[in-house]
Amino acid sequence: MFFKERNCYLKDYNLSLKEKIKRFNFRYLFLICTVVFIGIGTLYSAGNGNWTPWADKQFARFLLSLSVLFFVAFINLRTWMKYAYWIYALGVAALIGVELFGSVNMGAQRWLNLGIMNVQPSEVMKIALILALARYFHSASLSDIQSVQYIIPPMLLMGLPVALIMKQPDLGTALMLVFATGAIFFVVGVQLWKFLAVILSVGCSIPILWTFLHDYQKQRVLTFLNPENDPYGAGYNIIQSKITLGSGGLFGKGFMESTQGRLSFLPEKQTDFIFTVLSEEFGFLGSSALIVLYLIIILYGFYISYQSNNFFGKVLAIGLTVNFALYVFINIGMVSGMLPVVGVPLPLISYGGTAMLTLFAGFGLIESVYINREMVIGRRGSIEDE
Amino acid sequence: MSTPWKYEKERILHQRLIYLIGIFVFVIFLLICRMFYLQIICGDRYKEMADKNRISVRLTLPGRGYIYDRNGVKLAENRKTFQAVLFREESKTYRQSIENFQKLIPLEEDELNRIDKEIKRKRQYMPIRVKNNLSFEEAALIQLNAADLKGIRIEEELTRFYPLKENAAHLIGYVSFLTEKDVSDDKDSPLLDLPGYRIGRIGVEKGWEKTLQGMPGMRETEVNAFGRSIRVLKEENAQKGENLTLTIDSRLQEFALKAMGEEAGSAIVMDVHSGAILALVSAPSFDPNIFTRPIPQKIWNPLIQDEKKPLQNKAINGLYSPGSIFKLVVALAGLESGHITASRKVFCSGRTQIGKQYFHCWKRGGHGALTIEEALMHSCDVYFYELAQEIGWKKIISVAKRLGYGIESSLNLTGEKAGILPSQEWKKAKFKDDWRRGDTLNLSIGQGFLSATPLQMVLATARIANGGYAVEPGLVLSQIRQKTSESLGFSPYHLKLIRSGMSMVVNKNGGTAYKARFDINGQKMAGKTASTQVRRITMKEREKGVRSQEDLPWKYRDHAMFTAFAPLDNPQFAVIVAVEHGGGGSKTAAPIASQILQETLRLYPNGLTERKSDDMNNVQTD
Repeated sequence: MFFKERNCYLKDYNLSLKEKIKRFNFRYLFLICTVVFIGIGTLYSAGNGNWTPWADKQFARFLLSLSVLFFVAFINLRTWMKYAYWIYALGVAALIGVELFGSVNMGAQRWLNLGIMNVQPSEVMKIALILALARYFHSASLSDIQSVQYIIPPMLLMGLPVALIMKQPDLGTALMLVFATGAIFFVVGVQLWKFLAVILSVGCSIPILWTFLHDYQKQRVLTFLNPENDPYGAGYNIIQSKITLGSGGLFGKGFMESTQGRLSFLPEKQTDFIFTVLSEEFGFLGSSALIVLYLIIILYGFYISYQSNNFFGKVLAIGLTVNFALYVFINIGMVSGMLPVVGVPLPLISYGGTAMLTLFAGFGLIESVYINREMVIGRRGSIEDE
Repeated sequence: MSTPWKYEKERILHQRLIYLIGIFVFVIFLLICRMFYLQIICGDRYKEMADKNRISVRLTLPGRGYIYDRNGVKLAENRKTFQAVLFREESKTYRQSIENFQKLIPLEEDELNRIDKEIKRKRQYMPIRVKNNLSFEEAALIQLNAADLKGIRIEEELTRFYPLKENAAHLIGYVSFLTEKDVSDDKDSPLLDLPGYRIGRIGVEKGWEKTLQGMPGMRETEVNAFGRSIRVLKEENAQKGENLTLTIDSRLQEFALKAMGEEAGSAIVMDVHSGAILALVSAPSFDPNIFTRPIPQKIWNPLIQDEKKPLQNKAINGLYSPGSIFKLVVALAGLESGHITASRKVFCSGRTQIGKQYFHCWKRGGHGALTIEEALMHSCDVYFYELAQEIGWKKIISVAKRLGYGIESSLNLTGEKAGILPSQEWKKAKFKDDWRRGDTLNLSIGQGFLSATPLQMVLATARIANGGYAVEPGLVLSQIRQKTSESLGFSPYHLKLIRSGMSMVVNKNGGTAYKARFDINGQKMAGKTASTQVRRITMKEREKGVRSQEDLPWKYRDHAMFTAFAPLDNPQFAVIVAVEHGGGGSKTAAPIASQILQETLRLYPNGLTERKSDDMNNVQTD
């Protein structure tokens, strides 16, 4: 009975703009914008109560990102599915472009100058990979998914960009791609023993991988394990980060009262370590509230996935939400000293253009999944089932 | 429409999604737990660390109290000078700046070493003193060349200045920078980081350090990660140290040092009624103003290598056998014990025999029969040998102690020595030997184990002169007791006899200091000479023709001393002059003491004005 109701949408599914706006999930957008405004406020505070140099630019990026979100959301989901592999190919091409023409920044080759703006192809790749995987698993049957040979192509889909990103080198982004892919594999039904096998073999090869790590990466891991070893050198960030976090106490020092951030004890306070400034000013209550807000956005993403009536949309929403969640987990884990410092920003709050833009593009895709939640997509992307 | 490829897949996906949600909620829970741990459980510790990061407590220096003499003349003051301070955080090329600085104002080798040490020890944002006590011209020169001296700034500072220079060096002392030794127990002491902090080293500057120092102020500033002050959080102003007015008369102080001439030694002028010290000099002296800068080796080495020891305060730190000056003590002990009277005479044949040993009088031929007054006048040794044998060493020591020998005074100047009053117990402990009669004889003429400081000798004179009152030496005007009623218990008549003997030393032809006598409007002095052996003239030297002290090398010559009081009829001032290796007391020390006393009487013909009139009665009743 439940399915019968849905079948009425089997006919060609082209919504008018008005219908799209009507179906758009504004509650989800509201949650996202709340976090962005918290971020702009924190940047304002980190700039010692000035709009410059960060808060104003972040606001401009927010407006740009918001228009990207709407643009992406209003494109038919089927169109996204149709071009999923092409977008993936473009992402890989951009990564290779970075390798060939990219500019070196902070010891890593991550940026591609497109004339009007610098783009970080590795950020774009996160969405492209999820799109490609969603499309791939959309067409697969359960028995396909649970066969070994069927798993190899998506492994390669992941492996190629991961290898290119590792070469930049950007350990954080590469790991995020691996984890997001893993999560997608998990939800689409790859058997658990395969995960175990991979985890075991990776565990065994860690000593070998260690030798392939760059010196700075090794240093980061070692410093993470014992920051007090080098309090004024590599361990400085972690120690100061923990001091900043911890000194917030229960209620925090109050808005604009951060001492650690304001007095520059904390390097990179506006980017990767912004969570500590917020925690210092608003204490345990403030930081937990933000974490819970993130959890709500994550759960909302999963809810949208559940609502979707097509497998592509489901996997896409899950993949993008997992990607978002990974930002949160890694960044907060890193600034609170639970994970090594790998250079992952706090989503929607850290100062930075590409991350915000790609995150909003991702949310646009999730909105698109929501708008087209009743759409049924055939195995090969057609209206009808085969 | 049940296409199994789809619905089975969706079922699994929804199932796995629930697991995924479970994992994510768990991770979020972990993150919140971590926040709880860092912010609530460790919150206070991290708050402390954050405060330590941002709050820098710096002390601000109080102005040091001034020192005045009894007439309001400044003996120590603070003058505004300039210092060059290096701020390393302001320039990466600060080493070059120091090089350039050196081209303008040369730095000594040890100065450079200190800067190097401080660069290594102090944290980046701590200022480092490059050179202090710069004149206005030097400061201007640095300002002009500021472009080549990045990181070096000129700051105003207060520098201690001693207007009397070498005239009161030992008495006033000086201040100097702290060294790491001074705070060895507290390497993090905030005082160490104050480039201008100095403490008193000797003299009044050290003795009254707490009074003069004042209370340092505190300045709590918020600093950023580079150590730059952002804003002041809390400020307590420094409290200036108290001013100190001394009993010293700067004119007399200057006169006394000048009177010492080229000699090495000391002179003290004391008010006999209050113990107030009017002058206390040690010669040769030094200019205490050199210590306001770190002293270069080329100035320091001569100071510590000079055989006349200019850095030593000989007035309180020099120990001498009091020699014949101690005969005043023995005479008083003889009178007090009743063994002698004013009229009793003792015959001096030139020597006294103890067993097989002869003790000679300084006059080979002997003095003949002498009364106690005459014995003092001629400083006859034999008289006192005989007397001492009669009364024994214990009574002599007891009287000496009452007059101030053998104990440190209450003067509060560091380096003061107590001297030695020997006794049987003392000799047993020191030499594991019994007290012998020869020891008593040596004691009777102030030789042997006995030693005393010039301060003790002048104090004894003052106590004899004031009629036997227990005055204590004092330096601070407000702490001086104008009237000392505590009697030492000597008979006024006996003291008068001693004073009479002392008068004959100076005023009677044939007295040992007759040449030094004076008479200013009827005011005369009375005193006692002493020449104490440093080393005997050996037989060998005698054969080579060494007859007198002048023929000996300086450091083997006798010490010459003279103590006196004046005016004779109404004693007001006591003086001691001790000239190291001066030869004879009558020849070297007495004329200097005479000059000083004359100057004192010229300045204070009626004694010290602050004294009440009824105090004078004490003196005249005897």
